[in-house]
Amino acid sequence: MSESTEKIKAELISQQYIASDEIATVVYLAEQLEKPILSEGPAGVGKTELSKAWAAATGRPFIRLQCYEGLDETKALYEWEYAKQMLYTQLLRDKLSQVIEGTSSLTEAADRIASEEEVFFSERFLLPRPLLQALMCDQPVVLLIDEIDRADVEFEAFLLEVLSDFQVTVPELGTIAAKHQPTVFLTSNNTRELSEALKRRCLFIHIDYPTSEAELNIVRLKVPDLAPKLAKQAVEMVQALRQLDLKKSPSISETLDWAKALVKLNAKQLDEKTMANTMTVLLKHETDIIRAKRALSRGKGGRRDPRDFDPDDFSSYRNVYG
Amino acid sequence: MDQRIVEFIAGLRAAGVRVSIAESQDAFNATRFMGIFSRDDFRHSLRTTLVKEVSDQPVFDDLFPLYFGTDSPPMLNLNDDLSPEEQNMLQQALRALLEQLRQQNQQGKPGEQGNNQFQQGNSSLNSRQLDSLMQLLQALLNGQNLSQESLDQAGQQSGLQNARRPYEQRWVQSRMMRELGMRLLEELMKQLPDKLKQMGMSQQSIDQLMQGMEENKDALAEQISRHIGRSVAEQRAEEHEQNREDPQPDDLMHRPFDRLSEEEADELRHEVRRLVAQLRSRAALRRKRHKSGVLDTKKTLRSNLRYGGVPLELKYKRRHLKPKIVLICDLSTSMRNTVSFLLRMVYELQDQISSTHSFGFVSDLGNITEDFAEHPPNEALEIVLARPDLQPGYYSTDLGNSLNTLMARFAGTIDHRTTVVFVGDGRNNHRDPRLDLMQQIQRRSKRVVWFNPEHPRMWGTGDSDMVEYLPLSNGVYRVSNMAELTEAIDKLLTSS
Repeated sequence: MSESTEKIKAELISQQYIASDEIATVVYLAEQLEKPILSEGPAGVGKTELSKAWAAATGRPFIRLQCYEGLDETKALYEWEYAKQMLYTQLLRDKLSQVIEGTSSLTEAADRIASEEEVFFSERFLLPRPLLQALMCDQPVVLLIDEIDRADVEFEAFLLEVLSDFQVTVPELGTIAAKHQPTVFLTSNNTRELSEALKRRCLFIHIDYPTSEAELNIVRLKVPDLAPKLAKQAVEMVQALRQLDLKKSPSISETLDWAKALVKLNAKQLDEKTMANTMTVLLKHETDIIRAKRALSRGKGGRRDPRDFDPDDFSSYRNVYG
Repeated sequence: MDQRIVEFIAGLRAAGVRVSIAESQDAFNATRFMGIFSRDDFRHSLRTTLVKEVSDQPVFDDLFPLYFGTDSPPMLNLNDDLSPEEQNMLQQALRALLEQLRQQNQQGKPGEQGNNQFQQGNSSLNSRQLDSLMQLLQALLNGQNLSQESLDQAGQQSGLQNARRPYEQRWVQSRMMRELGMRLLEELMKQLPDKLKQMGMSQQSIDQLMQGMEENKDALAEQISRHIGRSVAEQRAEEHEQNREDPQPDDLMHRPFDRLSEEEADELRHEVRRLVAQLRSRAALRRKRHKSGVLDTKKTLRSNLRYGGVPLELKYKRRHLKPKIVLICDLSTSMRNTVSFLLRMVYELQDQISSTHSFGFVSDLGNITEDFAEHPPNEALEIVLARPDLQPGYYSTDLGNSLNTLMARFAGTIDHRTTVVFVGDGRNNHRDPRLDLMQQIQRRSKRVVWFNPEHPRMWGTGDSDMVEYLPLSNGVYRVSNMAELTEAIDKLLTSS
C-alpha cells in the first residue's frame, strides 16, 4: 500500500466505512483521473454507503439521483418553474403594460417584450434537479447516481454526455459547464447489461460480500455493544448462510441489523431459540428461512447442486411462483 | 514497463476481454499516478481501468501474474550450508546415482532388440534427458534459475510454440517437465537420502539438504509453469492480432442452425450481444413513440402549464406495454441449437419483458425459470442442457404429456396478459398431441406463438402435428437461422 491510498483508507474509516485496498485505490484514482466510479455487486454490500462516506470524509455536499424506470431529463436535470413564471407574469402585468406603452405597432411591442425575455428564462425560474445541482454547486460535490441499471437505455445515453464533458445545454440559457468537477459514483445491481460506452468512461469496481475477518471488523465498528464472542459467532453464521443456495443472501446491512437485534434482545449466545426468533431479520423469504433451518439442523448445510433436480422441491416454490 | 502493459492488454484482448483504446490510456494514466512500487496498488489500478465486467475478472487475475510476476522465484544456494566434506559426499552420491541411471538405460537396450525403431527413439530421448538432468541438478544445487535458452529449447522440444489454448497448457507443461528432466530428478531425489546415509552424512544435514532441494525444485517448477503460461498468452495475443483482420462473414446470420460448426456457433454467440442491443433500442423507441391509452389529465395539465393551461400537448397513461412471456422449449437433440440461442437472447432482454417463465421439455416438462434467475444466461444454459430430466432420448419427445404437466402444475403462470411461446418442430413421435389442452392454453393466454425451425412445406409430414396446432395458435414464425430468430423475437416484443 502506498501512502496516498493509506490516507484514503484512514479517511473512510473515520466515517465508519472500512475500505479494502482495492476500494481505496479506485477512489484515489477517481480523484486523480477525474473519472466516475462504477461499482457493481450484490445488494447491501455498501456501494451506496461508500459514496456517502466519501462525501462526509471530504466534507463535500452529497447529491443523490435515484434511478428508476421512466426517469427522464426533467426529473434528473432541470425543469422550468412554470407556475412561478405564470405568477410573475400576473403580478408584473402593470409593469408589462408600461413596457409596451407608446408602441405604435404589434411588432414593436413584441420586440420590446422580447428584449425583456431573459427575465423569464433565467436561473431564477430554473428548477435544478440533481444533475444540474451537482454542476452548478459553488463547491465540489459528491454525486451519487444510484442503481443506474434501473433507468432506461435512453437515459443512460443522455448521462454519457454529462459524465464525459461535465456540462449540459439548456436551450434558453446556453451551455452550463460545471464550476467544479463533481466526484461521481454510479452503482449497479447488475439487473441488466450496461452499455459499453458508459462502462468505458468509468473506473470499475466489483464489491462483493466481505471475508469473515472484514465483516467482523465492520460489525465491531458499527455495533460496538455486541459482545466480541457473540459478534464472531454471528458473523460466522452469516458467512455460512451465504454458502447456502438462497434466494436472497444476507447482506452486510442485514448482518448489522441482526447484530443490533441481538444487542436489543440482550442475547448471551446464539442458541436455537435466539436463532428462531431473529432469523427473519437476516432472511427475507419464507423458503430461505425453511431452507436455512433445515441446513442448520443438519449441521453444516452443503450447497445445493443446481443439477440435482428435485421435483418435490417445487412445492416450496409454489407460493412464490404460483 | 509501458511495453509490458501494452503486451498485457493485447493478452487480455486475446483472452476475450474488451479493452478500448480509451481504457488502455486510462490504465497508463492510472499507473502514472499510482506508481509501480506497490504491486497490489498497481494490480488494482490496472483492474479498475481495464476490466469492466465481473465475468472478466478471473481472466485478469490469471494473466496478471504471467505478465507482471516476479520473473524468478527466489532460490537458495544449497552448497552454502554444507561443509566441504559434505559437499564432496553429495557430489559423489549424485555421480553414483547418475551412473546407475545411465546403466539402467543402456541395459534396457540389448534386452529388447526386436522392436528397434521405437526403442532407439526412446533411448535417445533418455540420453538427452540425462543431459538436461545434469543441468537441472546444477541449477538446483547452486540455487540458480534456469536460463532463458534452456527454457526456450525445452519449450521447442515439447511443442510449446503450437499451444494456444489454456487446456493445451497443462499438456505442454507435463511434457516440458519431462524434457527438462524433472521426472528423473524426482526419482533421483527419492534415492539420494539413502545414498548419503551410506556415505556417512549426518541425518540433520541430510534433512536440511533435502528440504532445500524440495523448495528449490518447487521454485523451478513454478518458473517453468510461468514461462509456459506467458508463452501461451503471448502466442494467443499474436494469433488474435492476425485474425482480427479476417472479415466477419455476415452470412452466418443466414446459415441454418443445424449447419453451424462449433466455431461458427461460438462466433454467433458473440454476435448475440450486439443483436440484443439493437433489439433493445428498437423496443424502447417503439414504446416511447407508441401513442395509445387513456388521457392522463394530471400529466397533461402539468405539461401544459407553460402554455397558460391551454392543452396543446396531450399526455397519455402508459399501459403495461412490456410483454409477459411463457417459453416452452423443445430440448430434443435437433432443437438444442435453436433453443439455446433463443434462451440466450430472451434472457439478455429481460429488461424489455415484464416477466418470463421458461420450461424445457423432452418427454416431460421441467421448470427452468429458477436456473436462469440464479445464474447468468451462459451458465444457466449449461446447467439446463445438462439437467438429467431434460436429456434427449430415442424417440422420446412428447409435447402432449408436457402440456399435461404444464396445465396440472404451472397453469398459474399463464394469464390473459401472457404470450405463450412454443419453441419446437411440433414433432410428437405419433403420440397424442393433446389439442384440448392447447385450446385451453390459447383461451387462457393473450396469444400463443410458435417458433418453428422447419420449412412450412414440412409441416404435417411424418410425425409432425404442426398442422393440427396451427389453428390453435396466433402466429408461427420460422426460426431456422439467426436472422429469422432476431426478427421473431423483435415481433414478440412488438405486439404486446
